[in-house]
Amino acid sequence: MASSTRPDRAPAAPSDSLPDWQERHANELAQSRKPVFKSSSGLPLEPVYTPEQLQRAGWDFARDVGYPGEAPWTRGFIPGGYRQQLWKTEMYAGFGSAEEANQRYRYLMSQGSTGGISIALDLPTQVGYDSDHPMARDEVGQIGVALTSLDDVERVFDGIPLEMVGHIFSTANAIGPIVCAWLLALYEKRGTPTGDCIVQLQNDPIKEYVARGTQFLPIEAAVKLTTDMIEHCRSAAPEWLPISVSGSHMKQAGATVIQEAAFTICNGITYVESCLKRGMKIDDFGHVLELHFCTEMDFFEEIAKYRAVRKVWTRLVRERFGGTTERAQHFRLHAATSGRPLTAQQPLNNIARITLQALAQILGGCEQTRTASFDEALGIPTQEAARTSIRANQIIAYESGVPDTVDPLGGSYHVEHLTLAFEREIDSIIGEVDAMGGALAAVHGGYYQRALSRGAYREACAIESGEQVVVGVNRFQSDEAQPVPTFKLDPGAAQRQVERLQEVRARRDGAAVQRTLQELRSVCLSGANVMPAIVSCVKTYATIGEIADVWREVYGTYVPEAVRF
Amino acid sequence: MGSPNDDLARQAATPAHGRPIRVVLTKVGLDGHDRGVRVIAQALRDAGMEVIYAGLRRTPEDIARIVLEEDADVLGLSILSGAVVPLTRRVQEALRVHEVEDVVLVVGGIVPEPAREELRGIGVEGVFTPGTSLTAIVDFIRASVPAQRSYGASGA
Repeated sequence: MASSTRPDRAPAAPSDSLPDWQERHANELAQSRKPVFKSSSGLPLEPVYTPEQLQRAGWDFARDVGYPGEAPWTRGFIPGGYRQQLWKTEMYAGFGSAEEANQRYRYLMSQGSTGGISIALDLPTQVGYDSDHPMARDEVGQIGVALTSLDDVERVFDGIPLEMVGHIFSTANAIGPIVCAWLLALYEKRGTPTGDCIVQLQNDPIKEYVARGTQFLPIEAAVKLTTDMIEHCRSAAPEWLPISVSGSHMKQAGATVIQEAAFTICNGITYVESCLKRGMKIDDFGHVLELHFCTEMDFFEEIAKYRAVRKVWTRLVRERFGGTTERAQHFRLHAATSGRPLTAQQPLNNIARITLQALAQILGGCEQTRTASFDEALGIPTQEAARTSIRANQIIAYESGVPDTVDPLGGSYHVEHLTLAFEREIDSIIGEVDAMGGALAAVHGGYYQRALSRGAYREACAIESGEQVVVGVNRFQSDEAQPVPTFKLDPGAAQRQVERLQEVRARRDGAAVQRTLQELRSVCLSGANVMPAIVSCVKTYATIGEIADVWREVYGTYVPEAVRF
Repeated sequence: MGSPNDDLARQAATPAHGRPIRVVLTKVGLDGHDRGVRVIAQALRDAGMEVIYAGLRRTPEDIARIVLEEDADVLGLSILSGAVVPLTRRVQEALRVHEVEDVVLVVGGIVPEPAREELRGIGVEGVFTPGTSLTAIVDFIRASVPAQRSYGASGA
């Protein structure tokens, strides 16, 4: 098509500059498919990028990119990238009772899920209610596995050798310290050294108050508990990863890719500063911090984000937190494909979306990745859908050649320009949040919430007007039904879970439970680190609701605020 | 800055009974994902309605009280967990106990087909699942409210 529109004469000499090229082809460049081209975060996109724009932006190879495994870390922490080791492919799963979750984990591991066990928790567990609490009615085991006491945890891992698992992750946020205590107790009972299987908990309550919604304590208390857990793990389980500061939920709630990166870093600053205030040194814990993001559909923005985040965070560690070692700068960068762009309409289209997202996070150099399943818009993933996502990763890994060159997009004029723009935009938002008094002030003032709400509405309107195309939803719809088997939860699972809990309550030593809960109450009141007391509680099979109730009693509870629009 | 949705902004609400339609939106149950309900809040606002988003994890009793206090014409429940029918039923019971009878009840979220029928059976007037257009929701609420109000008045 393009060649037929070219003039029928000998080619002119090549343009000698970008303005020259733009002027020479002005007529053709004006014939665009869209009135304006912008990235999903709203950055203007030029038709083409050249060394001239990079020069204008002040880009410098050594300062801004350099070599893999070296500062400024834009190209990754590992010199050989995926030539040394492929990314870890982790699958998030969990539903029903401990036994059902246990079966699914065994299946995923047998299929080549190399990222260990990633536990989805049901909502009552996440907000600190026992499975038989009135607020838990109808929600037990619905969107994740119900864990109420050490007994459930023991059954989830029944017959699974921890050293074979290698890595355990869970989205435990406000309840992070309780889940951490369960696992410390489990390892102790089994005699498993903490280094044999790395535990990683999300333990990032701040974003819950603006996006994910499992907060149940005042935010200051939640940050204190998070800090307790980080501090305790440094001595009790130094190999574990006690926090994963997460941007993905904020993006799924409406943040742009830039805001996702910047807000996550601002929240990360708050946790680090909370640790530093206790006298901890960044050189001792910088390497156990994780930043977690999700990858959506703007392919190049996502790649630029991962490159820019490595650059910005490592600079903060050096310049703001006083880190002096390389290790302190090497946080864990975790990426997950996003369930949000997946559509219920024509669900097999989601395999293409998942593959593109997985490719973007791999090109962004993420060492740990999680991949969604194509039927997620319809319910909990079926085994087939989960397996297909593992296969998508394996196809990229073993068939595409993508992992054979480190940071293959490094030096792309477009990607470098975008990476630089991301770095500057992120720095500017950090400055804004600092000026407000930090992330907690930003939450109290509704700054994040407004940004997310507006972003979500902007996108909804753009989809409704057709300005933003969602294939199969507002364009290219199809009447042909694509039958996809959906996952059916065993309706008896919740009842079995409640019965189990009642059995545990009946057979445990009630006096020991009360004594440890009383000790926890005193420790909470004293302001000391609560972790040792929580470990004592869980060993007596005190339940999550009992422990969380002590917190609620001492710290108070989160009160939802009505907002007038 | 104007509304990002010109269509909605153009159709400014004609206030029925001398005041704008008042809508209480809330999450019920433990699910904390409120992107959808916040989008709806802004769409209804841009259509000229007064919108109160009550926030997360409200109990049925809380909800009935807020609806009364705000004298709401419409109550919108946002539920993304699997428990949409039992949670809605409990809210209906609380409304009945508090003698709130003239509020238009709508539900938004992930609602499988059989649950949709059940919800209609317990008096839910509108069920909006992902992909429903904002304009359709605005139109539905506009159309439902005046009728409900006059019904309430004649029945009193």
